[in-house]
Amino acid sequence: MMLRTEEMILNVGPQHPSTHGVFRLILKIDGEIIQEATPVIGYLHRGTEKIAEGLQYTQIIPYTDRMDYLSAMTNNYVLCHAVETMMGIEVPERAEYLRVLAMELGRIASHLVWWGTYLLDLGATSPFLYAFREREMIINLLNELSGARLTFNYMRIGGVKWDAPDGWIDKVKQFVPYMREKLHGYHELVTGNEIFRQRVTGVGRYTKEEAISYSLSGVNLRSTGVKWDLRKDEPYSIYDRFDFDVPVRDGGDCLARYECRMAEIEQSLRIIEQACEQFPPEGPIMGKVPRIIKAPPGETFVRIEAPRGEIGCYIASDGKKEPYRLKFRRPSFYNLQILPKLLKGQNLANVIAILGSIDIVLGEVDG
Amino acid sequence: MIGLMKGLAYTLKELTREKVTYDYPHEPLPLPDRFRGIQKFYPEKCIVCNQCVNICPTECIQLTGKKHPDPTKKGKVIETYNINFEICILCDLCTEVCPTEAIVMTNNFELAEYSRDALYKDLAWLDENDTNIRRENKP
Repeated sequence: MMLRTEEMILNVGPQHPSTHGVFRLILKIDGEIIQEATPVIGYLHRGTEKIAEGLQYTQIIPYTDRMDYLSAMTNNYVLCHAVETMMGIEVPERAEYLRVLAMELGRIASHLVWWGTYLLDLGATSPFLYAFREREMIINLLNELSGARLTFNYMRIGGVKWDAPDGWIDKVKQFVPYMREKLHGYHELVTGNEIFRQRVTGVGRYTKEEAISYSLSGVNLRSTGVKWDLRKDEPYSIYDRFDFDVPVRDGGDCLARYECRMAEIEQSLRIIEQACEQFPPEGPIMGKVPRIIKAPPGETFVRIEAPRGEIGCYIASDGKKEPYRLKFRRPSFYNLQILPKLLKGQNLANVIAILGSIDIVLGEVDG
Repeated sequence: MIGLMKGLAYTLKELTREKVTYDYPHEPLPLPDRFRGIQKFYPEKCIVCNQCVNICPTECIQLTGKKHPDPTKKGKVIETYNINFEICILCDLCTEVCPTEAIVMTNNFELAEYSRDALYKDLAWLDENDTNIRRENKP
């Protein structure tokens, strides 16, 4: 007698420990094999772009904090960078160094959250505790600098709000060797672990061509062998002054993405080290900015390298205090689009491993 | 198996390290001076210029002013000042634009209330909120 089989619909989320935010995934499964995956997004949609149309440029900065809340500094920067480009404002050197330090510290913090939670999703508990211990140190540093732990609202058009407090640069300097030692420990703990390697090798693989056609960016692109990092290829701010490498892997699988992110932490530490050495002893932190900020009529688009990929900001201005239209190219949103393709034909147990490796933040996906 | 053993050795080594957690709430959390908690308001310093109201991105501040009671003095004095703390995002822009530093940030962040009405902070409440005030207010 033949057993009658039928497909089943499995709902994951929107409140699910592995979705890091509010994200729903509808899976059509045949036994344990996924036939079709449909992501449902929008649970965190706040209409940032529409709200921004009614706000002055400075007022939009706190809203950018809440998009990718794991690396708010890069979001702050992309908006300020766009307005500065439109208005032709020159940012003082000291402010640029503070911005780079804040952004790179944020990048490490963001990758640490990813590392901890990814391993947690795969079933390892202790990496999460270690990652959050180190992340807490970064957050304390940024808290001292900006006055908030996550929603910094630190950058301003033409500079930054606060100068570095006394002894802050020394604290950052001390943090670099500490973090290097810990990073070495992370590799000892996880990277060499045979169970972990078997779990992620060859899982969620895609090719270079697929990555480009899905317009993936950041680590998701570099893990397929494409050497593309805006900090190197289209240097903004003062990134051309630092000596660092762009980590690239060829695998295109979860392991390649893991290795790329871990290598990026090391490179960010190199940038921080050099920025601390080159840090100008004194100077202004705000450029010459008119009292009322009005971008000249026209449009602009700038893009920078956020921890999750290329974040872009498009502004169309009609010469008023508020933008006529503002759009953010949010990397998580674009990176997520490859998920249904990756999940098709995979075993159910691999869903979380693949979703986690793409590293999305739902605040950014939904905007 | 070597990798696995190395990982176990690492966790064993970490076992003897110093504790990094705080005994919160029994021990107060150390916060930097710049930390942004709920605002403190000095009514006597306010010149009713409305800049905080205009800069607030969430429009959570409302104020009214009246003529100076002393007829020999020009300008206005504050009559009511309300912050709707339900929607305040502690962005710090109000204290940044205030020309007289009449509104400043404090380190007080434990703000849970049982009713939503209690989150409407009025002039009297904001005036009495005078602990842990930020020392250096302007960059």
